[in-house]
Amino acid sequence: MPEVKTRDFPAASAVSILDPQIRMALQRAGTGFDGGRRECIEEVTPQVWEEWREQARQTKLHTLDHLDYYLEMLEERVSANGGQVHFAADAAEANAIVADLVRTRGVRIATKSKSMVSEELNLNHMLESIGVDVYETDLGEYIIQLAEETPFHLVAPALHKSKEEVSRLFTEKLGVPPMDDINALAAAAREALRQRFLEADLGISGANFLVAETGTLVIITNEGNGRLCTSAPRIHVGITGMEKVIPSVQDLAVFLRLLPRSATGQRITSYVSMVSGPRKHDDEDGPEEFHLIVVDNGRSRMLADPDLREALMCIRCGACLNICPVYQKVGGHAYGWVYPGPIGSIVSPMLVGLDQASDLPQASSLCGACREACPIRIDIPRMLLHLRHKLAEEPDAGGRAKGTMPRPIANGFAKVMANPGLLSATRKFARAAQAMLLGSPISPLARGGRGIRKAGLPLLSKWTHSRDLPEIAPRSFGEIWKQELSNPDGER
Amino acid sequence: MAEATGTPKSEFLASVRRALGRQAGPPQTEYPRLAQGIEQLEDQAREVRERVQANRGALLDKLAEVAQLRGWQVRRTPDPEEAMDYVQSLADGQGANRVVRSRQEVFEAVPLDATLTGMGITVTEVAHGEGASRESLREQIAMSGMGITGVDYAIAETGSAVIVPRRGLGRLVSLVPPVHVALVRPDDVIESLDDLFLMRRLEYMRNGGDMGPYLNFITGPSRTADIEQTIVVGVHGPKEVHMVLLG
Ligand code: SF4
Repeated sequence: MPEVKTRDFPAASAVSILDPQIRMALQRAGTGFDGGRRECIEEVTPQVWEEWREQARQTKLHTLDHLDYYLEMLEERVSANGGQVHFAADAAEANAIVADLVRTRGVRIATKSKSMVSEELNLNHMLESIGVDVYETDLGEYIIQLAEETPFHLVAPALHKSKEEVSRLFTEKLGVPPMDDINALAAAAREALRQRFLEADLGISGANFLVAETGTLVIITNEGNGRLCTSAPRIHVGITGMEKVIPSVQDLAVFLRLLPRSATGQRITSYVSMVSGPRKHDDEDGPEEFHLIVVDNGRSRMLADPDLREALMCIRCGACLNICPVYQKVGGHAYGWVYPGPIGSIVSPMLVGLDQASDLPQASSLCGACREACPIRIDIPRMLLHLRHKLAEEPDAGGRAKGTMPRPIANGFAKVMANPGLLSATRKFARAAQAMLLGSPISPLARGGRGIRKAGLPLLSKWTHSRDLPEIAPRSFGEIWKQELSNPDGER
Repeated sequence: MAEATGTPKSEFLASVRRALGRQAGPPQTEYPRLAQGIEQLEDQAREVRERVQANRGALLDKLAEVAQLRGWQVRRTPDPEEAMDYVQSLADGQGANRVVRSRQEVFEAVPLDATLTGMGITVTEVAHGEGASRESLREQIAMSGMGITGVDYAIAETGSAVIVPRRGLGRLVSLVPPVHVALVRPDDVIESLDDLFLMRRLEYMRNGGDMGPYLNFITGPSRTADIEQTIVVGVHGPKEVHMVLLG
């Protein structure tokens, strides 16, 4: 697995939030991707969109609830088509399967199209360590590979790189002259990779969907690199998570409508490729061998928890990232592992261990925008709360951040809120205290004028040092209601 | 065939079952789509064909419109001569001196070879055997400025050309040359993604569990927006795609 830096979230986000280039890139993703998505919904009408979402959600729910059955069907059908399925319990095993293929088939050059699961495995690193030249071929992934970084976004891995940076990178790594035209940069990457495609022994791809019924791997791409990786080399290996399976080839219609629209605001991508096995005897071209590696790597932990199972319905469209007020400020790298954003804040803790990533479930305002945007209607906020609950209940799981409010204070707060008399008395007391403190020039609460900002309150400082403590209003809603709004005649 | 490595299938499936807390076996109620047998699919496919037949004109209009929006350069003409003139002008504009094409029925209606050869262009039909090895054909494709194919389906909903590769219809002809020309016959048109996958599933069942190893949708040129979200066409696939609609 790649280095897990999820513990660094507070520090890393504090740095990235100040980076003007990241801010610009995130804004572009917001207006470009999310704006496009909204346009698409208007175009098909929100009503039809909701029907699609419901259909997709039901399909995913059904498949996950019977995942063993559909995985078995998938394995049988891929075999019947002449392909080979391998099951990997964890990253090490998945890598060993690939290493074994490399050794027994004498693989020297591999081309790779985009696969998030391979990032999870740190597959490139393993391949290089056994002497395989491996080339990412998706332009964004290629840039990331040259820069030795991890993806910044599920759909646009190099979103954070300016064209100047890409140009410097290409000059340094590919020896091409500096260029400031994006077309020229893309052409340089095309040139550098074209020959690799034709030389490669092994093509590696991820999968957007696996169709159980027909034993088919489906990938959705725009550049054509996915088509090349699955067509030109003599061996094709697909690597993907076990949750990608859907029952019928007819289910694809709705997913092909939802995914590109949610991801980039495209009605459909340039290419959709469906691989059901190695080439047949008489075919013009295509690989002689097809292998499919189905990876667990912690997914059965999510499957086993009914409160988190939903997270496995994710189709990695990135819509929840583009709309998240937290991701939109801190960007992808702050999350510290392969999967960023709201869905990453669930998936990463579950795959690397909640104790390693206890800050991620806190990195949300629970505003619900992600659930709104998600084409599968995945209830991300509910699961984030569930993880927070777990952290609070099982202090050991938290390692460090066991919630930000000490337990006795939280208990006291709950007691006060549940008792109207007590609440009213507490409010009166607090109002008096506030008037006194705000009036005093030496008060720690008075910084920044009237508001109570970033108050370093004793005992509560963890809660308040990065949150504004709202000033208590002169009259409570209850009082306003009583005095002005309620209707004594009992009519409305 | 290769050996499976990694966790044995039975063990892997057992661990999934443990996570789910369920016993081996099918779902209690069969998934509705999978419950549909070949007879039902035949009936539905007949309805699709009738619907497409009845609306062919409107579907062709829609295909032309949507394909254009998705980045195809669309030329609509029922006249094979005009179609050939169009392809000729494209080859001329490209300055291509090599062209590859698939071996498909549509070239009997639109016999391009003579026209192109007459312009001094080398035309290679990509079909192995008869002296042409797969390797030599691959080289021909890599050197060509244009690839011409028919399609198996054209979907009006999405503006996509669908190709099911096989003998005579290689995967690389529509992918490697910088320009792809797709010749679409009125009979190739279907309305929606649902129509397509219904047909594919029927095909799979009719052939006793086989629908060919590959299928590809093509919708406009190859493109990326990976640098600063600026769209660039022609990354690893064609930068220019033309749909010649023969009806
Ligand atoms: S959780 Fe939903 S919105 Fe987020 S990436 Fe997954 S499918 Fe897309």
